[in-house]
Amino acid sequence: MSLWSHIFGEIGFRKLNALFSLLGLTLAVTIVVASRLLAEADERETRRVTRDMGFNLRLISAETDLGQFYRDGFSRNAMNAAMLDRLATHLTNNVSFNHLVGSLRREYTINGQDILLVGLSETYVAPGQGKKPMGVVIKKGTVHIGSEVARKQKKKRDDTMHVGERQFTVANDPIETGTPDDITIFARLEDVQSVLRLEGKINEIEAIDCLCLTADQDPLAILRKEIGDILPEVQVVQMRTLADARAKQRQTREKVNQFVLPSVLVASAVWMALLAVLNVRDRRQEIGILRALGKGGGRIAGLFLGKAALLGLMASVFGAAFGTWAVLEFGPSLFPVTKKAIQANPTLAWQMVVATPVFAAFASFIPAMLAVSHDPAETLRED
Amino acid sequence: MIRCDEVTKIFRKNGSEITSLDRFTADIGAGEFVAVRGPSGSGKTTLLLTLGGMQRPSAGLVQFSGRDLYRLSPADRAGLRSAEIGFVFQMFHLVPYLDLMGNVLLASPGKLGPAVRQRAGELLDKLGLAERVSHRPGELSAGERQRLAVARALLNRPKLILADEPTGNLDPENAAEVIRHLAEFHQAGGTVVLVTHGTAADTYADRFLRLKQGRLVAD
Repeated sequence: MSLWSHIFGEIGFRKLNALFSLLGLTLAVTIVVASRLLAEADERETRRVTRDMGFNLRLISAETDLGQFYRDGFSRNAMNAAMLDRLATHLTNNVSFNHLVGSLRREYTINGQDILLVGLSETYVAPGQGKKPMGVVIKKGTVHIGSEVARKQKKKRDDTMHVGERQFTVANDPIETGTPDDITIFARLEDVQSVLRLEGKINEIEAIDCLCLTADQDPLAILRKEIGDILPEVQVVQMRTLADARAKQRQTREKVNQFVLPSVLVASAVWMALLAVLNVRDRRQEIGILRALGKGGGRIAGLFLGKAALLGLMASVFGAAFGTWAVLEFGPSLFPVTKKAIQANPTLAWQMVVATPVFAAFASFIPAMLAVSHDPAETLRED
Repeated sequence: MIRCDEVTKIFRKNGSEITSLDRFTADIGAGEFVAVRGPSGSGKTTLLLTLGGMQRPSAGLVQFSGRDLYRLSPADRAGLRSAEIGFVFQMFHLVPYLDLMGNVLLASPGKLGPAVRQRAGELLDKLGLAERVSHRPGELSAGERQRLAVARALLNRPKLILADEPTGNLDPENAAEVIRHLAEFHQAGGTVVLVTHGTAADTYADRFLRLKQGRLVAD
């Protein structure tokens, strides 16, 4: 009589015990899978929201007068564009900043209209993170124009327009934003450098801090230390409102996950162990006769641990499928802004298939040991 | 085959002591059919479990084929029990979710080859259960269940069968049949130690032990 046919037979006989165990484990796997998928979606959504919020770190020349900076909205002191490359070489997962974009920003006049002309470099991100660039990617020879520029210059998407001696194609549908962007022309950094005859120059490096610390935790001191060690010639300005909002959003999500997952795992383990104890109690006579027939502790433990692992395997399949389905079905109503953020995760499903049987067996370990250490003579004499 | 020397078993519960076996001394030879009698609580079941390596005595020596049973490791004792001893209990102690064949094969210590299955089939046939091989114990009468327990006890061709009031829950006809099967095992050279209240074994037993308050009072 093989161990597995023995286990299958017992599951079929004591259906309720097996069913309750299976339900408990399935529920736990469902919650774990759903919360992980939602957390991943939330992460993507947070990333999107913070990307929409914009950069919260501005690195400007140390010589910049902050009065001028805040009055004009940008620094008039140019820096060497090589500083951006220097900072970018330090981008790793261990630094507290990411998403570096060099910019060159100046007032400019086109056909009598005062505008802002902004050149943006490509986005530098830490290696291996695969993060999307902040904002739109501007192609060579194109510009993105604000709504007021479009209105006064009578330009729309695909029109050509001259900026200085250079001709560009409008690559966006201008939309009124109620911000200085409405009077801005965005182009590639090298194009703006060329127009302004400021080759190799920028006047700002924008970035996002990754510290996820709120203002009271003083992230700025950490950032200034890290950046100052690399680029002593810049000063760091942090837009605290944005940084705080970003940090709080992430911290809230992490706190929820820190509470939900351990609670579910503990509850599930207790439930599984309780049912296993009941199962051991129901099977005292069986354990006694197995002992009398010369079966060792390994075989007896195997009956209980094997059953738990088998139920865990089944629960992992059901739970992963149900959790994924539930999130795909109901998740979009929780995250209406970015429905695309919600995705199935096959890797997570496989992790559940491997981990749940181990978890279930672990939860049943003490009851299994109770079964092994049970004195068979005690039940066999209960005739 | 079995030698018991001053075997004593004391149960302690709630601060009080109950002596279930009191310096029990006896030799049981190979091929004997021994009936153990005595009133309830006289230590019969304790004796049987002790002889079967299931109940460690508080004092004394139990030898099986020259080996000190309780000096063997638990694994060796389990191996010996599996290979050389068959148990039959009053309450049958069958596994409710296995069919008849499964219950008999449960006694097999190793892999279930065709020879083991054939042996199980033959035993079920011999004990009149061949038609019900795929049934479960819950679908059998008391007599059939006990015959199934006998078949399980016989699977490994043991040297010794320890039977604890195997006819206690059976009508006289079924009781006689179960005893007859044990007698057949005995006639084929096996040793039987049978704990009983009744007289069903009187025809076959060649030795009677009487226990009273854990002591051997008649042999």
